[in-house]
Amino acid sequence: MAKPKISSDWMCGCAGCHMSLLDIDERILTIAELTDIRATPITDLKEPDESGVDVGILEGGINNTANEEVAHRMRKRCKLLVALGDCAVFGGVPAMRNFFTIEEALRRAYVETESTDSEGKIPSDPELARMTRVRAIHEVVPVDIFLPGCPPDPDAIFYVLSELAQGRKPELKGDLLHWR
Amino acid sequence: MVNVTIDGKTIQVPEGTTVLRAAEQAGLKIPVLCDHPHLLPFGGCRLCVVEVEGMRTLQPSCSLPVSNNMVVRTNTEKVQAARKFILTLIFSDRNHFCPYCQVSGGDCELQNAALNLGMTHWEYQPNWKPYPVDASHEYLVIDHNRCILCRRCVRACGELVGNFTLGIEERGASSMLVCDVGVPFGESSCVACGTCSQVCPTGAIIDRRSAYQGLEKKTESTASICLGCSLGCGVNVLTRDNRLVRITGRWDAPVNAGVLCKLGRFLPLDEDRQRITTPLVRKDGKLQPATWDEALQAASLKLKPLAGKNGSGVAAIASPRLPVESLAAFKQLFKGGFRSDTVTTLEEGASTLAASALAAETGPFETDLSALEAADCVVVLGIDLAVEEQVLGFMVKRSLPSNTALVVIDAAENGFTPLARAALKPAAGAVNVALRGLSAAIRKLGLAKAGTNGKDAEAELKSAAEQSGILADQLVYAGGMIAKATRPVFIYGKNLNLADLKAAADLAALVGAGKNLIGARGAANSLAAAQLGLDQPFKRNGHQAVYVALGDDVPSQRLIQQLEGTPFLVVQAAYSSRLTAMADVVFPVEMWAETSGHYINIEGRVQGTAAALKPAAGVRSNLAALQAVAASVGLSAEADWQAALAERKAPVALALS
Ligand code: SF4
Ligand code: SF4
Ligand code: SF4
Ligand code: SF4
Ligand code: FES
Repeated sequence: MAKPKISSDWMCGCAGCHMSLLDIDERILTIAELTDIRATPITDLKEPDESGVDVGILEGGINNTANEEVAHRMRKRCKLLVALGDCAVFGGVPAMRNFFTIEEALRRAYVETESTDSEGKIPSDPELARMTRVRAIHEVVPVDIFLPGCPPDPDAIFYVLSELAQGRKPELKGDLLHWR
Repeated sequence: MVNVTIDGKTIQVPEGTTVLRAAEQAGLKIPVLCDHPHLLPFGGCRLCVVEVEGMRTLQPSCSLPVSNNMVVRTNTEKVQAARKFILTLIFSDRNHFCPYCQVSGGDCELQNAALNLGMTHWEYQPNWKPYPVDASHEYLVIDHNRCILCRRCVRACGELVGNFTLGIEERGASSMLVCDVGVPFGESSCVACGTCSQVCPTGAIIDRRSAYQGLEKKTESTASICLGCSLGCGVNVLTRDNRLVRITGRWDAPVNAGVLCKLGRFLPLDEDRQRITTPLVRKDGKLQPATWDEALQAASLKLKPLAGKNGSGVAAIASPRLPVESLAAFKQLFKGGFRSDTVTTLEEGASTLAASALAAETGPFETDLSALEAADCVVVLGIDLAVEEQVLGFMVKRSLPSNTALVVIDAAENGFTPLARAALKPAAGAVNVALRGLSAAIRKLGLAKAGTNGKDAEAELKSAAEQSGILADQLVYAGGMIAKATRPVFIYGKNLNLADLKAAADLAALVGAGKNLIGARGAANSLAAAQLGLDQPFKRNGHQAVYVALGDDVPSQRLIQQLEGTPFLVVQAAYSSRLTAMADVVFPVEMWAETSGHYINIEGRVQGTAAALKPAAGVRSNLAALQAVAASVGLSAEADWQAALAERKAPVALALS
């Protein structure tokens, strides 16, 4: 049997979940042995193979049109989609922004921040992605496996990856299941 | 008894038991949110649903009483699916952001319930409508985004504290937790007891002092008692890395059953006095750090020659917050060893003299706190329970909705007056006259259960009314209320002198409630101090030295003034103060959370504190300090405190072993 292909990407997150993924330490070798690690934000290949992968992993919620594209592309190209971390699963910390209008959030970030000088202005280049409300991934594309935690425990990540690598569907519970 | 079968186990439980409690007895755990073992069943959240044979729909186990031969299933697929759905709805009702919530990761009963059901995500997203955060309170914050409307806080504030500050306004999705009629928490009638935060299952009510200082699983918990007053409420002292994090009420404590007042729960977290960690000795007019040996030598050099010098020797004064072991040793050293004529406490008997004097005449005349549970009339005499012994006040307040009549008699302003059915404010010094007036009124009404009823009471009533400045009608009204009660209880405080107390005891006897008195003592070990005879007035007069065993107490302005110019002043203290600054020798001792020792509470209950914190290396216990001083002057500070306590008749039965 061919090794399952795994690809990952990140969206509106802080990269912490990928850090936690690396935090599985030497067990990454086991994963590398059992799987074929393809495109990830921390490898040279950046986009999942057009021919498809077995497992797609997404970190972060969806907060603009670019994220939407990433999510749709991954969903299209993977068989099983894993939402990695609280932002991917729930929206997470960035979703606090949903309490405000997009205009308020942009003004706060680009104009009112203490570190912004009087020239601060909201970027408006039409090439830029358009900001949206922050959404959990499953609000945009169907998700097969939810791996919550802020960030998820390395042990939980390893468990999910090794189950998937061996063709099983992981079921998080007990110590491995937490939301932070 | 009825039979009930739960998950295949058949057990017998008393009629009226809820399915939830029956399941607990069968060793089964049903998840709950709105239910709390110390509050009345409410049945609001529906997380506790179970299948009951013969019933069409799932039933809330927390509010469903068992019936005979009921067959219950607590964990079927149908039940689990319903619970998940209920949680899904709760999570979507408001806004939960676990990654930055104070209780996430173990202390949130809502999150725990979801994780226990294996919920990895929410089917529906949050509400996204921002709910207010009320941070106007000195000690507590309400974040309505995390409130699940379980009403535990509302019920606790009413059922346990009797304060009824919290309530729910509106209906359905518009329901909101409110303080009073919708004022900011900090401007409400809240008395900052913190009970609501202790029962809140989520992070909706958190206390500001301990927020984000550590989840309960990251703290150590030490069962102890509060030293804030003579009630002796049971506390859990939560510490982390030898730092005080939080104080919670112990649900299994016999005195308070979980409830605390602001003094016990929050004020110790505000401690900002500077700690003394090394002995200090005055050299060249300045207090300088020294070793224990040096300090003991400096003290004994001056103290030793003063032994036996009555009136011009050593006067000694101790804090009634010290453990009884220390108080007994203190007495042994200064009364027994130094043969001093002035050995007392900072209270100088203020809250115990009258009770001790009456006990000497009559023996024990008081009851324990359980009498309050059955009371149908509470007479509060000369104590403001809104300020002192507050949890005792909560016990009174929470009994009022069940039609307990409250009578307040105080010559001073009293915070309980607005709650009273009758409030009498006698002229200064005329409390006993007013009490005799009540007795006369009762005899006039022919309601006396002991002693004589009669017409002669008329004249007595009239003169009592005149002297006390209370209308005779009022005395008759209040007297009738007390006399008609079947189980009246009299709570008195330090504003009562011996004549007042005797009048109160006579009134109690007259209405057939002879021993139904409860006497507030003031400090944590005031009763122990009184039993040891440490209750005389303090006068420095010609004493050549004064020894103050201050512990972690705050020296009063008056004491500091009295001790100005003392030829030789020794203080053992936990914190620096104006008093330690005046001292010639200072010994560093433990503060309350570092101490283990015994305390005799308001009802004669002997309770122990346990050390939750480790003191700095140079700090000794109050007892060890006294013993070291004794050894340095060749005297003894060994005493059998249990025997010493029993030497004198106590106002209440002491639970000594
Ligand atoms: S109250 Fe509980 S569920 Fe809500 S945010 Fe806090 S930890 Fe999460
Ligand atoms: S702190 Fe006490 S009095 Fe205040 S609202 Fe909470 S339970 Fe009620
Ligand atoms: S504040 Fe807490 S205890 Fe009160 S109703 Fe809300 S969740 Fe329940
Ligand atoms: S009533 Fe007294 S013992 Fe109880 S918590 Fe308050 S101060 Fe402490
Ligand atoms: S615990 Fe039974 S309805 Fe809430």
